[in-house]
Amino acid sequence: MDLLLLLTLFPLLSALPLMLPIKAFNCRKTVWSYALLSTLVTFVFSLIVAFKFDFAATGTMQLAGSLSWVDAFGLSFGFGIDSISLWLVMLTTFLMPIIILGSLSAVKMRVREFYFWMIVLETFMLGTFVATDIIFFYVCFELTLVPLYILIGVFGSDNRLRAAKIFFLYTFSGSMLTFAGVMYVAFVNSVNTGVWSFDIQTLYLAAAGMSLAEQSWVLGALLAGFAVKVPLFPVHTWLPLAHTEAPTAGSVILAGVLLKLGTYGLLRFALPMCPAAVVEYAWLIGIFAVLGVLVTALICWVQTDVKKLIAYSSVSHLGFCVLGLFALDIDDAGAVGAVMYMINHGLSTGALFLCIGMIYERFHTRDMAKMSGLGRVIPVWASFTVFFVLASVGLPGLNGFIGEFLTLIGAFLSPSNVLGVEYAAFAGVGMILAAIYLLYMVGKVIFGPLLVPDVHNDDGSHELNDLNPREIFTLLPLAAACLILGMLPHGMLASLEAPVGRLTASAKDAAELDTVFVEADTQGTPLRLAVDDHASVSLHAPLIKTAPRAAER
Amino acid sequence: MNIELIKLIPWIPLLGAVLCGICCMKPAWRKAAGPISVLSIFIPFLITCGVYSAASSLVGDDKVQTVYQWIGVGQFQVNMAYFVDPLTMVMLFVVTGIGSLIATYAMGYMKGERGYARFFMGVSLFIFAMTTLVMADNLVLLYLGWEGVGLCSYLLIGYYYEKPEAVAAAKKAFIVNRIGDLGFALGIFLTYMTYDSVSLSEVTTQAKIALANGIDPTSADLWIPFLLMLGAFGKSAQIPLYVWLPDAMAGPTPVSALVHAATMVTAGVYMIARLIPVFQLSPYALPTVATIGGVTALFAGTIALCQYDLKKVFAYSTVSQLGYMFLGVGALSTFGGIFHLFTHAFFKALLFLTAGSVMHALAGQLDLRAMSGLRKKMPVTCWLMFAGCLALAGFPFTAGFFSKDTILAEAMVRGTGEHGSTLFFWLALMGLLTAFLTAFYTFRLWFRVFMGPEHFEMGDDHGHAPEGDDDAHGDDHGHAHEPHEMPWWPMNIPLAILAAGALFAGLFFGGWMDHNIEHSTANPTAVLNVQADTQTAPAYDIITVSSQADTHATDTHAPAVSDHADTTQAGHGTDHEAHRAHGIHVMMMWVSSFIAIFGIALAGYFHWQNRPLTDKIAAKFGMVVEVLYNKYYVDEFYDLTIVKPLRGLGHLFYLFDQFVINGLVMTVGHLPRLAGWAVRPTQSGKIQGYGLGMVLGVAIAALLVFKWAF
Repeated sequence: MDLLLLLTLFPLLSALPLMLPIKAFNCRKTVWSYALLSTLVTFVFSLIVAFKFDFAATGTMQLAGSLSWVDAFGLSFGFGIDSISLWLVMLTTFLMPIIILGSLSAVKMRVREFYFWMIVLETFMLGTFVATDIIFFYVCFELTLVPLYILIGVFGSDNRLRAAKIFFLYTFSGSMLTFAGVMYVAFVNSVNTGVWSFDIQTLYLAAAGMSLAEQSWVLGALLAGFAVKVPLFPVHTWLPLAHTEAPTAGSVILAGVLLKLGTYGLLRFALPMCPAAVVEYAWLIGIFAVLGVLVTALICWVQTDVKKLIAYSSVSHLGFCVLGLFALDIDDAGAVGAVMYMINHGLSTGALFLCIGMIYERFHTRDMAKMSGLGRVIPVWASFTVFFVLASVGLPGLNGFIGEFLTLIGAFLSPSNVLGVEYAAFAGVGMILAAIYLLYMVGKVIFGPLLVPDVHNDDGSHELNDLNPREIFTLLPLAAACLILGMLPHGMLASLEAPVGRLTASAKDAAELDTVFVEADTQGTPLRLAVDDHASVSLHAPLIKTAPRAAER
Repeated sequence: MNIELIKLIPWIPLLGAVLCGICCMKPAWRKAAGPISVLSIFIPFLITCGVYSAASSLVGDDKVQTVYQWIGVGQFQVNMAYFVDPLTMVMLFVVTGIGSLIATYAMGYMKGERGYARFFMGVSLFIFAMTTLVMADNLVLLYLGWEGVGLCSYLLIGYYYEKPEAVAAAKKAFIVNRIGDLGFALGIFLTYMTYDSVSLSEVTTQAKIALANGIDPTSADLWIPFLLMLGAFGKSAQIPLYVWLPDAMAGPTPVSALVHAATMVTAGVYMIARLIPVFQLSPYALPTVATIGGVTALFAGTIALCQYDLKKVFAYSTVSQLGYMFLGVGALSTFGGIFHLFTHAFFKALLFLTAGSVMHALAGQLDLRAMSGLRKKMPVTCWLMFAGCLALAGFPFTAGFFSKDTILAEAMVRGTGEHGSTLFFWLALMGLLTAFLTAFYTFRLWFRVFMGPEHFEMGDDHGHAPEGDDDAHGDDHGHAHEPHEMPWWPMNIPLAILAAGALFAGLFFGGWMDHNIEHSTANPTAVLNVQADTQTAPAYDIITVSSQADTHATDTHAPAVSDHADTTQAGHGTDHEAHRAHGIHVMMMWVSSFIAIFGIALAGYFHWQNRPLTDKIAAKFGMVVEVLYNKYYVDEFYDLTIVKPLRGLGHLFYLFDQFVINGLVMTVGHLPRLAGWAVRPTQSGKIQGYGLGMVLGVAIAALLVFKWAF
């Protein structure tokens, strides 16, 4: 059996026994150990995948395979990974055991269902990352909603039903449009070739033949689903609500992996499928990204709920990521940085949610007004939190910096018809604001005069305990990962260059061609084609179509 | 010693920091943190001494010592690499040398504190970041050090984290620095865009080539220095970003000495000196640096006049002295700037630490009005601080005298003569006025504290968190009712060394410094020995046009720096000019000596001999004193114009987010239901209705297809 398929399906299969009437699973600890074991095995599988992965050819889809489904419609479960997928798969399988480890004391009711849905969710997440078939991708993309809907709606806090509803409404309606866009591309392909296919590579080619107007509609449709998922300002409002109401595990998985489905989708589908439209509308997306960075950062600053603050910070941070994705700079610093940013944000923000979950378990409150100076009483927790805050602020030497710096430099060096200096400058203000709101939180919660809310422990005692070994082991791998990726990011960045380059190539070409025509137009000289020394401009059909339009401006 | 050892320098303190972190875990281990930290700073100092001669003779590419590849995407390659030239060595001597002394002192000062290990972890981590900063071969690594020292500064200012003012000060320091860092980051981006590299060696070489060829500056050339400058002003506490430094005194005193006087705050000066060719490319950059420096020096000097907090006086004096350094590099005297950085590290560290001793002895008392005539109680501290005060005041032949004089004289040289610019003339005069103020406020403090009738009020031991059972310092201080002298080891011996430096470093190290600066990238008069054809591999070897009458050099080489802009090197190279410069130097020496002595004498009269008269005068000018005491209300101004509006905006956006956007989405969510309600009558179950609908639908579809297809 194919390794990737095994990796993807293993969690689902291993989750099934949890739903069987097995006596042993009536014990909370047994269920928890089982879930932990299952996710650890999945992690080992992913390590084997990484070991088998040929890092000399990171750009090609490796370990690929396909299961046929409905051949007549070209439907199949195609799978394979390049290094972008690989790193995101690793992120998922790495985070899962950690989340399970951290959930032992948080989940006390309906334990079986909780872990069942958590593990099932892992399968769907992995499925989206390994899919090379767009229907397979879409199915997994949509199915992630179900476990999360249940996790929030059943295991969340007071306002959980409203949060779950808004979350579902938002993301589902968005992704319906995405589906329409994808179907349109498949339709174009079937018209062109006479055969239905949903293979992503095939659809890239089909999409390349579309006119600018068509591409723009497709881009709009893709954005409808992916931008909501990211979430991009101003369609982000579901996220703070969902984060605040979700159980810790849900928040971590949401911030850690599920949001990345949006940016991953943008990179995997939007950039290569509608390159000309991306160039045409990058300015608009860039403005929303920058606005998102700034506006939500200011919102973070006035929060009183710690979890909401971190939730909004996610929106702010992912603005950088989107900015990097659409930078299209010659080095691909922006897009490579954006992928790195996805990983980094998953690690550091996920860890911050875990930290907050740990004090929530102790105090049953997240109100910053009620706690202060906790560094004095729970120093280990405080040290970890400060560490992850620093990673999140983008302190050089820790992981957050690499992604932030690269996305910004990408936006800065972006061709002037795409993004440009001003985007980087304004987004850069987000670096200052990030320091303001996160240090504001640290200053309130960890520093300052001692103020401890009422403590309610499981055993009924009211003594405040620092992190226990289990909790330390939950945070330690994340801290190590943050440090390693911050100091030694070269390997990861190098492996990302080739696949990211493949995905951005056509959009970069479009940007360059666009410039050529604009230049030609403004200078009144005859049109000149493909005259750059950096990359020979490949003349895809759509570019020839779009170019005169560009010249009309 | 093997030059490769230099690669270890930053990592030893990092290891030290990790070990100190481990010491945090158990109270019994805490005591080990101090010696570990001192060793982790002192070993790099020994390495620095050992490799000095080898490092100074490196040429060309050997100056770049690569450890490993750090970040790399496409052409954007950034290595964990160190650039070793004489300027690096000078900075390393300052950082590790002064750092060792201060850390040793801190072993005594912080004894018995609950956060003893945490403190030394911060110190070691700081030395890691600071050595990385001064050794970095590229701007991104420099940025790592830059933000790293900012972090350590944050953690160390916030050391007494139970005090709200310490927390606020720490936060303020980090955020104000971040504002500058944004400029720095954008400067790095633009540098990469312009030079296709962020390597210091590469960038400075290219900039020197551009200078030598006299190319007209591009807009990027104009912008880069201004962006980088913003970073420098943030870190080095210059107008308009100086506000964090005085508040930063909430940290423990050794931190004030190490981070906020001797090393970190000078990083901005170092950066500009290091990148001087890049700054020279823009004709407006260096005059701006000089102006900001000169104005800040005077501005902070006036505030220092009316502060009563011992450490605040020194804090504003630091801001003021940093202003001098910027005036120096702005006047193209990188030698003066770095030399002042060097001497200032000695005497300001000494001043802070002696102030710390006073504070220690008086159980945290820092108010000048609550102490007087302490010379009998603390004779050693008294005379140690006297040495520091002399140097700060610029008393003839002390360290501060030589370096300050160099800066003022160089500014005056720029400001006079046939190509002289009025700007520099006035800046030099402002510098002289500041020198007078400096001498006055420095000795105001010293006379107040140590002279006159003996009188003191003990403080409430603020800042010394009481420890649990293993209290080791109760007998040492804090509970005593009398001020007492500090022990020689580990406190007064490091101070004595610093005092020696404060008195004699100017005399003995001037030539050494001059030599080192001349052979580094900070040499503003160096012209590259480049072929007309710059396409061939750029040469790193620098030929120096010395200021002493080397007319031949300037004539035969490609146009020297001086022709580039009127502010740079006005008329270097002729005998006449050299003679004129020499004259100005001598004259300034006399003038500043006189000013220093006059200031000291005046301070002695007003604050030792005739204090009632002073109080009367102060009362007369109550308004002025009030404004100065409240630091011109700049903090309040920033709060009102920046902080409050931003927070208001945050609240506004949050409301908008909650109600408007969410409301819209919820409305959209209701749309399907509304639509369903609207079309409900059509689902009547009557076949005719469906039939009609179907026909209509097919017709519309056919029409659409028809339109689309043809």
